[in-house]
Amino acid sequence: MIKNITWLLSVLIVFGSLSACKKVIKLDLNTASPQLVIEGNIYDHSGPYTVKIFQTVNFDESNAYPAVTGANVILSDNAGNSEQLSEIYPGSYITSKINGVPGHTYTLDVNIGGKSYSAISTMPFPVDIESIYFQKSLFGNNKYPGINFIDPANISNYYRLIYLINGIKQEDINVTDDRISAGQTISYTIRPIDTDNKLKTGDVVTIWLEAVDQGVYEYFRTAGREGGQSASPANPTSNISNGALGYFNACSVRALSVVFP
Amino acid sequence: MRKRVEILALLVLVCLPALFAQQRFTISGQIKDSRTGEDLIGAVIQIRELPLKSVGTNSYGFYSLTLPAGSYEVTAQYAGYKPCIEKISLEKSQKLNFSLSEQARELDEVIVYGRRKDENVTKTQMGLLKLNVKEIKNIPVLFGEKDLLKTIQLLPGIQAVGEGRSGFNVRGGAADQNLILLDEATVYNASHLMGFFSVFNSDAIKDISVYKGNEPSEYGGRLSSVLDIKMNDGNDKTLSVSGGVGLISSRIVVEGPLIKDKGSFMISARRTYADLFLKASSDTSLNKARLYFYDLNAKANYRINEKNRLFLSGYFGKDVLGFGNTFGINWGNSTATLRWNHLFSDRLFSNTSLIFSNYDYKININSGVKLNIISRIQDYGVKQDFQFFGGDNSTLKFGFNEVYHQIIPGAITAISNVSLKSLTNKHALEHAMYVSHLFSLSQKISIEYGARFTLFNLIGPGTFYTYDNKGNIASRSTVNSGHFVKTYFNPEPRATLNYVFNQQNSVKTAYARNVQNLHLLSNSTSGNPTDLWIPSSNNAKPEISDQVSIGYYRNLSENKYEFSSEIYYKNLQNQIDYKNGAELNLNDNVESQILFGKGRAYGLELFLKKKSGRFNGWVSYTLSRTERKFDTVNSGAYFPAKQDRTHDISVVGMYDLSKRWSLSATWVYYTGNAVTFPSGKYVVDGKTMFYYKDRNANRMPSYHRLDLGATWLRKKTATFESSWTFSLYNAYGHDNPYTITFQDSKSDPTKTEAIQTTLFKLVPSFTYNFKF
Repeated sequence: MIKNITWLLSVLIVFGSLSACKKVIKLDLNTASPQLVIEGNIYDHSGPYTVKIFQTVNFDESNAYPAVTGANVILSDNAGNSEQLSEIYPGSYITSKINGVPGHTYTLDVNIGGKSYSAISTMPFPVDIESIYFQKSLFGNNKYPGINFIDPANISNYYRLIYLINGIKQEDINVTDDRISAGQTISYTIRPIDTDNKLKTGDVVTIWLEAVDQGVYEYFRTAGREGGQSASPANPTSNISNGALGYFNACSVRALSVVFP
Repeated sequence: MRKRVEILALLVLVCLPALFAQQRFTISGQIKDSRTGEDLIGAVIQIRELPLKSVGTNSYGFYSLTLPAGSYEVTAQYAGYKPCIEKISLEKSQKLNFSLSEQARELDEVIVYGRRKDENVTKTQMGLLKLNVKEIKNIPVLFGEKDLLKTIQLLPGIQAVGEGRSGFNVRGGAADQNLILLDEATVYNASHLMGFFSVFNSDAIKDISVYKGNEPSEYGGRLSSVLDIKMNDGNDKTLSVSGGVGLISSRIVVEGPLIKDKGSFMISARRTYADLFLKASSDTSLNKARLYFYDLNAKANYRINEKNRLFLSGYFGKDVLGFGNTFGINWGNSTATLRWNHLFSDRLFSNTSLIFSNYDYKININSGVKLNIISRIQDYGVKQDFQFFGGDNSTLKFGFNEVYHQIIPGAITAISNVSLKSLTNKHALEHAMYVSHLFSLSQKISIEYGARFTLFNLIGPGTFYTYDNKGNIASRSTVNSGHFVKTYFNPEPRATLNYVFNQQNSVKTAYARNVQNLHLLSNSTSGNPTDLWIPSSNNAKPEISDQVSIGYYRNLSENKYEFSSEIYYKNLQNQIDYKNGAELNLNDNVESQILFGKGRAYGLELFLKKKSGRFNGWVSYTLSRTERKFDTVNSGAYFPAKQDRTHDISVVGMYDLSKRWSLSATWVYYTGNAVTFPSGKYVVDGKTMFYYKDRNANRMPSYHRLDLGATWLRKKTATFESSWTFSLYNAYGHDNPYTITFQDSKSDPTKTEAIQTTLFKLVPSFTYNFKF
C-alpha cells in the first residue's frame, strides 16, 4: 500500500509536467569487476529446485550473463536432509531429492574456487488467495488486478506476488507485509510499471502468492525500490553472505487464475 | 528568575558608559511609507553633523538613536524613496517619526533598490542576502508565477534542488536545514504541487532576508540558513485592490485602513486552476481528477498608542489532489502570529509573539482497502525579544523562545471494518535563550557577538526504542505523559567582526555554531509532501554545524556597483542519511533506518550587482564542495552529498526599454548533482537489475537555461494601473535532464539504455496584473 502511495506520487510528478519529453542518452558509466549473483528458490511443492549462479556484466554490454560453472552447491534443512546439487546446464544447479516443507529452515552453501557463500531461509506456511479483482487505473482506461487474502493472525507475515498474463511472468516486483493490518483481510492491487501492456478480454490473469520469510521480503522490497525515485539507489539487501548478489528463497506458493472479462 | 537577573546585569553593563558621558538624549520613532503607511524595514537615519552615528530601523520600522545635546540635521532615507530631512535641537529625548514618499520613477533617474546605499560594506552582518519584492517583479519565471524562493536561488551560495523547484540548498546544507519563517512562524513545507511553486504568494510579501548560516542569535533551530519573510502590513490610508490573472492561477489583494493612520489590514488570496483544464480531457479518470492549490494570507495591525502596537497575521494554504473516489491527498501549512510591540522607553523596544504553526497531510485511499492516513507537525510557541539601543552605536538584543512541538507521524483510520495500527505520536519542548551585542570598537571596527542556548526535551508519553548499529531494537522504555525521555543542551556562540577600510571597502569575518533538533526524513530526489519530521531522540542526536567565513566587500562608482566575495568552511556533526532501501513510510521503527555521520562544506561566493540605472542586475558565482561521511557508506570515506555542485553561475539582467516596456533575462549554469548510476547489471527472476558500487559517484549532466521576460505597463493613472507580463522559460530549449533512468532497450531487448526525462522546454506564459 505504501508502495502504491509512492507510485502515485511519482505519477504526479510526471503529471505536473505534461510537457515532459524523454530520450535515450549516451552516458559514460563506471565499470565494475564481475560480481557473483546467486538465485535459488525452493517451493512447498515437489522439486527439482534450481539454483542459478552467474556474473554481472557492464552496463553497455549485452544482456548475457556469464555462467559460473563448477561450483560446489549444497542444500540442507533443519530436519537433517542434505544434498549436493548437480549442474545440468552451465551455471544451473538442480536438486534431486530434497523436498520443500513449510516450517523447515533451509541452508544453501555455495563454494566457488575456495570462496564460500551461504544463505538461510525458512519456509512459511501457505496462504490462500481468496479472490482476484480488477480495479480501474487512475490514468487511461486500464484495469489492474488485485487479490484478497486473509493474513494469519499472531505472527509477522511477509508476501511476494508474481503476476502472469497468459502464462508470461510480468517483471514487476510486488511485496507486502502485515505491519499495519495483522490478522486482517489484505487487499493488494498490482500496479504495473509497463502501462502499455493493457489487459484484453480473454486474457488469463494468474497471480502467485508466495509466503516468504523476512529476509526474502527485505530483498524484494529493496529490489523494488531500486527503480523508484530514491535519491540513493543501492543494491537490494541480500540474504546471502559474503557480498553475493541475488537471493535464496524458501517459500510456500498458492496461485489463482481468472479470465479477464 | 535567575535569567532575569542576568539580563539586568547585562543591561547595566551596556548602559554604564552612557552614565559618564556628557548629557545625552534619545531620538526615536517610526519610519513609514507616506502613501500606504507600510513600515519601512531597514530605513536609515543619519545625522549630518555626526556622520558615523547612523542607525537602521528594525523589523517594525522603529529606530532609536542616542546623541549628545545639540542641534542636528536628521535625514531619514530608504531606497527608492525621497529622503526626508528634519532639523532638531536636542535638549530632551524626543519622538521623531518620518513618512517617506516613493520617488516618481523617471527613466533616466538613478534608482537604488535595497537599503542604505553602502550597507553592504558598512553593516556588520555577513552572509546576508536581502530582497525586496519590488526588486524582483520583472524577473522571468516559470508559468508566470513570481516566486521568491526561486529568485533567491539566483544568489550566491543558494542552489535550486532541481529543475523548476522552489526547494533550495544553502552552502551545502540539506533542504530541511533551512529555517523558513513567515512573520516569525515556522513553515515546515514551503512548496506547492510537488515543489514547483512555493507557498509564498509574492503579493502578500514585503521583504525577505536570507542568512547563510551566520544568523544573529535571535534565530536558531536549523543548520544552514534562515529565511525570514515578512508579510505586508496593509495600507492604512486608503482601501486598495490589486491582483492578477495568469495562465495557471489568479491572485487578489485587498488592503486598507482599519482605523485611518492607526491600523490597517491586508488579505491576499491565490488559487491555481490546472484542474479546470483537466475537466476538458476526454479521459474519464483525468477529467475527474482534482489538482489545485490555494493560499490565503491575512494580516492586521493596530497602533493602540505611541508605545503599543498589535499585529495579527496568518497564513493558510492547501494542495488538493485526487482521482475520483479512489485516491486523494491534501497537504498544507497554517500559521498564526500575534505580536505586541511595546516601548518600555525610547531606548528599549520589546516584541512579544504568540506563534502557532501547523503542517499536515491527509491521504485517503479507497482502492481495495479503505483508509485515511493523517500526519501532522504542530508548534505552539512564545517568543520574547528585547532590543536596547545603548548609544555609542551599541545595540543589545536578548530574549527567549519556548516551543512545544507535537508530531503525529501517521494516524491511520480505517473506513472499512479493519483495525490498523497508528504510529506513536511524538512530543517535544524546545527552549532557547539568546543575547547578542552589536557595537563599534572604533570608527573602523564593529563587532556583533552573542550566543544562543538551546535546551531540547523529548517528552512522553510513548514507548521509546534504542537501536544498535544493525538497526535492531537494543532497548525499550515506556515513558508516561510529560516525563522527559531525552534532553539535549547546546550553547551556540556566534560572532562577526567588520573592519571598514573606508566607505567603499571592508573585510568581515564570522563564526557561528547552529544546532538543529528537528530532522526531516526524505529519501526521494524531489521531496514529497509525506516526508516525515522527527525530533532529536535516543537515536537521533542534535545536528551541529560550525561555520567560519571571511569576506571582502567593495562598492564601486558611488555605490552603483556592489561587489562581495565570501569564503566559508563548515563542519557538520550528526548528519542524517539512509540505509540502503530504507523504509521511511509508516514505520514506527523509522529511526532504525537512519545512518548518522558527519559532513563538511566549503566554498567561494562571488557577487557583482549593478543596483541602479536603466540597466541593472547581477552576476553570481559559487565554487563549492559538500561532502558527507558515514561508516557504512562507500567504506567510510568522504563522498559528495547529492547537493554537491562544483560551479553555480547566475546572471540576471533587467532593462527599462521605455516608460511602458521593461525587459529582463536570466541565465543559469550549474554542475549536475552527485548521483548514483549503475556500474553493472544482472538478472533476477527474469528482470534486469542494476549493480551499484559507490554512492553518489556519478554526475548528472551540467544544467543551463535562459529565461526571458517582458513587462508592458498598459495603463497608469492615479487610480488605476494595469500591466501585462510575458515570460519564456528555457528560451533556447536546452534538454536539461530532470531524471535519468535505466531500463532494457525497447528496440533491442538484449541491451540496456539510459533514458533522460526533460520537463520544461520553451514554456511561455503571460499574466495580466491590475491595481486600483
